[in-house]
Amino acid sequence: MSEDTPVLRARSLDLGYGGEPVLRGVDLEVRRGELWFLIGPNGTGKTTFLRGVLGTLAPLAGQLELEPELRDRRRLGYVPQRCELNPTLPTTVREFVRLGFVRSTVPRGERRATRERALARVGLENRARASYWSLSGGQRQRALVARALVRRPRLLLVDEPTEGLDVAAEDAFRRTVVELNREQGLTLLFVTHNLHLAARIATHVALFELDGRVTTGSASELLEHDVIERAFGISLDLASREGS
Amino acid sequence: MIESFLGSWELFGTTWMVGLLIAGVLSVVGVWIVARDHIFLGAAVAQASTLGVAVALWLAGAAAGLRSLESDAGATAFAVAASVATAWLAARVGEGRSESHEAVTGWVFLLAGSIPVLMLAHSPHGLEEVQRLLFSTLLTASAGDLGFFAAIAIATVWAAVALHERLLLVTLDPELAGALGLSRRAWAGALAVWLGLAVGLSIRSAGTLYTFGCLVLPALIAKNVCREVSPMLWVSPLVAVSAALVGFVLSTGLDWPPAHTSVGLLAAGLPLAWGWRRLRRD
Repeated sequence: MSEDTPVLRARSLDLGYGGEPVLRGVDLEVRRGELWFLIGPNGTGKTTFLRGVLGTLAPLAGQLELEPELRDRRRLGYVPQRCELNPTLPTTVREFVRLGFVRSTVPRGERRATRERALARVGLENRARASYWSLSGGQRQRALVARALVRRPRLLLVDEPTEGLDVAAEDAFRRTVVELNREQGLTLLFVTHNLHLAARIATHVALFELDGRVTTGSASELLEHDVIERAFGISLDLASREGS
Repeated sequence: MIESFLGSWELFGTTWMVGLLIAGVLSVVGVWIVARDHIFLGAAVAQASTLGVAVALWLAGAAAGLRSLESDAGATAFAVAASVATAWLAARVGEGRSESHEAVTGWVFLLAGSIPVLMLAHSPHGLEEVQRLLFSTLLTASAGDLGFFAAIAIATVWAAVALHERLLLVTLDPELAGALGLSRRAWAGALAVWLGLAVGLSIRSAGTLYTFGCLVLPALIAKNVCREVSPMLWVSPLVAVSAALVGFVLSTGLDWPPAHTSVGLLAAGLPLAWGWRRLRRD
């Protein structure tokens, strides 16, 4: 497989519910090692796009192609916006993370070591036996990332992970994501309303607009003052890019 | 007391075996009910089984050609059909947004609680049967019931072991299960059928109280004594079978109704489990 083969390619893609498109004519190509931020106002279809990639929503028109190794979705990692766990249930961090192995390609004999590596990667190696409910909001988000990482993903989808986190937790989360992308070469699609975070770490941006269209480009092109003002109706000067 | 229990085995051995199997099977199904916080669904499904029995008896009384529905097999088939349909419909309604899950299960519970009595109000034999189901007695369990429950217990153990990982994911986090390629609708349907089958078969042999008690109380106890959900799948049946066995021994020695004794023990155990969890502080 060539390094230049797209991990994901959308062509004239329409996605929606009940036959009614939310997204229209999306063209987007994601390559290995890219860190994409999907930004846009509420209701513009960012999570809908992730559902399309996950295969839980079929295209209404057009094509959404994944590289061959991803077609059965076994090496897709997904960090949801929220977790539906019943808060009265007893569960530990290790049990929570173990859920990520369902339909994965990781052999049974390697699962324990994989889980421990994933927990270490997000800084929770000492909390494996702790109750999931004893974790702070930021730690729970990192546990969600560990749960996605145990699948040894080639593509990681992250849906608004920093919502409700304080500045320190958000910063810890940002560092984890940057490490995964830059040190391990993991390809990421990151849905967020946090434009400052996008400005700091995104390599590419997809701007979802209210008419269902999606504009793609480099972070420096799309996080321009004028583009943000047109899309969000606000005047915002974003901080400069991290490491550039 | 134990001697008296062992002495009763010749006469009631089938009853005790059926009671233990019912306790074991329902307490595993109950882990899903408790984990999803659908406890009222358990009550509604149990009540719906009673409605199924009432419909069978009413039809048998209304048409001479349907008299065979009065038999154990006929009434059991209707009980199972009613409970499976209720559990499946409740799962489907839960997917929508027009009404809450609790509201629908509450409606089913009240409907299934009132209609049987109205249908059989002028049939002394039928009303007696409905009251027997509501009262709960294990003493009518037959060899056929034993075969049914042995089969369903084997299937339950197989499912709990072979599908353990997927079962756990669907139970704990259905959204992630969907994202990882498991069909939420198919799993919810399969679990509903499993619940309906276990409850529907149990109702005829053990009545509403024993069925509902074994469905939710052992799983609630397990939830409070376990640190993870995974061990709840064996702690819950262990608690259920132990309480049922002790209940049967006590009921034989003290001449108490066995179903009520066992459920009373389980109900008394739950506050102890709450205390244990509080002491453990998590």
